[in-house]
Amino acid sequence: MKAGAIDKGIALLIKGSPFIVVEREFVNPGKGSAFVRLKLKSPATGRVLKETMKTQDNVEEIIVEDKECQFLYSDEAAFHFMDTETYDQFEVPMVGFADYKLLMRDGDTYKVIMWEEKPLDIIIPYKVVYEVTEAFEGVKGDTVQGASKLVKIETGLEVKVPIFIKQGERIMINTETHEYVERVNS
Amino acid sequence: MKYTKNKLEQTENFEIIRKRSAIITKIRSYFQTNGYLEVETPILSPELIPESTIEVFETTFSSEFHGERQFYLIPSPEVFMKRLIAQGSGSIFQITKSFRNNEQIGKDHNPEFTMLEWYTIGSDYMDSIKRTEALFESLTNGNTPEWFRPPFLQKSIEEVFKEYVSIDLLKCQTKTLIRNEAVRLGLSPNKTDSWEDIFNRIFLSFIEPELPKGKPIVLYNYPRQIQCLAKEIKGTPWRERWELYVKGNEIANCYTEEIDRRKVKTFFEIEYSKKAVSARVISDIDNKYYQIFDNNYPECSGVALGVDRLIMLLTRSTSIEGVILFPFSAMMEE
Repeated sequence: MKAGAIDKGIALLIKGSPFIVVEREFVNPGKGSAFVRLKLKSPATGRVLKETMKTQDNVEEIIVEDKECQFLYSDEAAFHFMDTETYDQFEVPMVGFADYKLLMRDGDTYKVIMWEEKPLDIIIPYKVVYEVTEAFEGVKGDTVQGASKLVKIETGLEVKVPIFIKQGERIMINTETHEYVERVNS
Repeated sequence: MKYTKNKLEQTENFEIIRKRSAIITKIRSYFQTNGYLEVETPILSPELIPESTIEVFETTFSSEFHGERQFYLIPSPEVFMKRLIAQGSGSIFQITKSFRNNEQIGKDHNPEFTMLEWYTIGSDYMDSIKRTEALFESLTNGNTPEWFRPPFLQKSIEEVFKEYVSIDLLKCQTKTLIRNEAVRLGLSPNKTDSWEDIFNRIFLSFIEPELPKGKPIVLYNYPRQIQCLAKEIKGTPWRERWELYVKGNEIANCYTEEIDRRKVKTFFEIEYSKKAVSARVISDIDNKYYQIFDNNYPECSGVALGVDRLIMLLTRSTSIEGVILFPFSAMMEE
């Protein structure tokens, strides 16, 4: 495929190793042709690679398969999943995904991207509803944002929210930026 | 800014619309009080300056009286403003819509955008840094945040390549030498890459994203290998050109304008032939354009500044779509 068609989340084979595209930005340098600036992550090592390609460059996209998997638990080193079709259990080393620990909820189902029988990536929905398990004292925010405070959600992530959010309420979080989106009344 | 059916006053964006208007008024007033003539030149043109890296919009004039003719939406007003200078206009400025096709739409790009372009007679690119600093001062009434406040930091391209990636560009003037450096940095240049492509790969991967954001920074003296109408600096591989970055955003670029008619002619030939190979729309050129650069054509410096990006920064918006009424992406969704 052409580098111009690269999208966030796809997998590429770079110098023989699989990488996930975590950031993609088009750049047109003054008087230059079109480039795409990429941040790539190796699921095996967690290593982040910066690469800039011309949009006309050829890249090798990896054909991957995705599986619906239930997240069972995590330990120090890995996330443990169960394939909901075959009931096979397997683990995804945490090294490339340490930050996911604060976003994934035991028992929830996630898409796991597999390549050559090996897990390559875990897909967390862009927006997820969590319960607030701990609400701290309100702190006065800057005048633009309005008053805000910190709360902890069930996965342990701390999030800045408007002052009216109470413990036990459910809130929607943007899993990319870890930012509060809205309160969910159910 | 959303394409919304709400009444304008009810949207929080109304404040930004007013700020946009106030900033444009200040820009205008700055140039008017400093001896520049405001001009309005066509945005539909039958010929353009060939720039191989810019894709343009094309349209057809058709009339039962005059027949048909291809026209192009200008990617910048340069083609006309330089003609005015040839006719003795003196220093001029213009705030105009410009158009670029085939760029990504979103944070920094809208296919239709507002450009401020000005030419100062008797000036070179370094004078234009001072002029731009004075313009910036005039926009914020003394209450200027540090990241916008002049004086701008100034670094040459030669310096930033040494500082950020330990490359001495003076020793990398051939494609093989600069390719070796790119490979050393872990990049994968293509076999078909030009020197300029490899330069850009390095610059965009390791330098541009790391530029200081706490102060405006001018990068000056760009390599000759990047074809443009900026004057060459004798005895060096550089051109008299700069780019201004504010908070990491490319805001403006400037040349000491090339006024040697043979060099302009060569530029047209080289860029037109590149365009003929790579562009989707091959815009017509005026084969005699170089003739406007006669012995009376004055030394001058031109700056082009992205007004939407400037307003985005001054209103603390995160995308130019936040400061453009009816942005392109919203219309695409309709």
